[in-house]
Amino acid sequence: MLTTIDTLTVYDPRGALRQSVTPTAPRITALAGLRLGVLDNSKWNANKLLRGSLASLKAQHEFAAVNYYVKHSFSKDAAPELIQQIAAECDIVLTAIGDCGSCCSCCVRDGIALEQLGVPSAVIITTEFLRETKLTRAAIGMPGLQPVVIDHPISSITDAEMQARMAQVVAQAQQVWLGAA
Amino acid sequence: MDGFTERDLHGGAETRGSVPPGTDLIEWYYERGFTDGLPVVPPTPEKVAACITALGGDAQFEECRVAPRWGVLTREVLAINMVLAGCRPEYAPVVRAAMLAITDRAFNLNGVQATTHVASPLIIVNGPLAAEIGMNGGCNAFGSGNRANATIGRAVRLIMLNVGGGWPAELDKSTLGHPGKYSYCVTENEAQSPFAPYHVEKGYAATDSTVFAIAAEAPHSVTDHQCNDPEGILDTMCSAMSTIGSNNAVLGGHCVVVLGLEHANTIAQHGWTRSDIRNYLWMHSGNAFRLISRDHRYGKVYNRNLPKWVKRDPDSRIPIVPSADNIHLFVMGGEAGRFSVFIPGWGHMNTPVLRSIGPVEAKPGGPVCIDGTCAL
Repeated sequence: MLTTIDTLTVYDPRGALRQSVTPTAPRITALAGLRLGVLDNSKWNANKLLRGSLASLKAQHEFAAVNYYVKHSFSKDAAPELIQQIAAECDIVLTAIGDCGSCCSCCVRDGIALEQLGVPSAVIITTEFLRETKLTRAAIGMPGLQPVVIDHPISSITDAEMQARMAQVVAQAQQVWLGAA
Repeated sequence: MDGFTERDLHGGAETRGSVPPGTDLIEWYYERGFTDGLPVVPPTPEKVAACITALGGDAQFEECRVAPRWGVLTREVLAINMVLAGCRPEYAPVVRAAMLAITDRAFNLNGVQATTHVASPLIIVNGPLAAEIGMNGGCNAFGSGNRANATIGRAVRLIMLNVGGGWPAELDKSTLGHPGKYSYCVTENEAQSPFAPYHVEKGYAATDSTVFAIAAEAPHSVTDHQCNDPEGILDTMCSAMSTIGSNNAVLGGHCVVVLGLEHANTIAQHGWTRSDIRNYLWMHSGNAFRLISRDHRYGKVYNRNLPKWVKRDPDSRIPIVPSADNIHLFVMGGEAGRFSVFIPGWGHMNTPVLRSIGPVEAKPGGPVCIDGTCAL
């Protein structure tokens, strides 16, 4: 006897996501008197970009403290102990540089870890990695994280080009911390 | 009505749907982006069930989560991807062990998937299971033609794409990629190697089966038809290892050396051991600091990831990897040909993982591992 096949079975191979959406940390109202943390991911020129941006920020605001941290590897998440330490010692954070695939992913993940601990974090990425940033923050469950987006590239650029990148950082980072972004 | 959305981060909660009879299923999977670019094998309930059974049943058991999307890899989802890749059910323990290896925290799959570098996980299987399922470590080992090699590697890649979300230009930002990003899985030629197998050097029994996983570039051929002693052959390998263009040269980490049979046999005939080979390669490869720093032509802003323990003098030797133990040595290939390959790794950001396939047995004097995993 002939049987009629009504339908064909198809499969979705993606697997479920478990992450629930979490909000960013509450924004600040002013920078004066805060403890600023700077997390350098040790990528080429991250140090130069961050130190230069920091000089401009310090000229504009009276911070209670400025703490500089370096993580071991630009392609790995910061160690949980380091994230805990930064959250304990700082009120806001500036971190760089997401100018490669794994660097961007890990900078965003560090920023989200700090935001989850209540620390507004300005994560610096380059234009080439904005799409990756949007997908990463969505996958981890913090779509509200606003990055600081500066021109690509960061390595192999002139001092004048670096100065222009620093100006982008200074303007946007304040918007991220204050919630005006 | 199939109920599935277009490929996006948040789909995947419902694993089964249905389409009208006569639907071109290969095209259906293409349209949803559930492929690596090659046609997939449309899964049937029977094929998926057979793979779930081979994994031990319990379809909803969660094996791991896969970065950077962090999708949940249940046995059912693993089985679906195995069928899509063309695997036979008996490959299931190898695919599972490979996934557990690359999702081990030490491996840093999040970074491996996202990186602009070319790296892809290279899976090397050791032990009797490789021969039982028909893997090829002989002639054309890294090439085409073997179902087990091809489809196990492909299943790992499909899971990295579908569950891990590592889609090119989305969460995989590799500038160039390499052909091993379709499939990159081999076995050692244990039957013909003059040396003990890789996993035995690392403390496993020859009767154990293991997977080794490392984030790696494509193989680089090392030709030497002249030298008839270990020093000569290995000096040629050192030359290939010492390029300043590999990530190892500037970021250390781990690398893989695969000796072809003819080279391996010549070296073994002179009484050299695996340890002799690895130490010779480590001692005689590397670059002068002046090469890595480009003689400070671009200022003294150089890579801060070089080890603290190497001097920054112009003629200081910067080793390719920090230790001879970071050179992972295998013997593969066919009987003819004085060829070997060098496979650079991604750098210190990736720690290779060696893991037993199947049940873990505690062995006194064996490797120090946690939950069956040895981070190397």
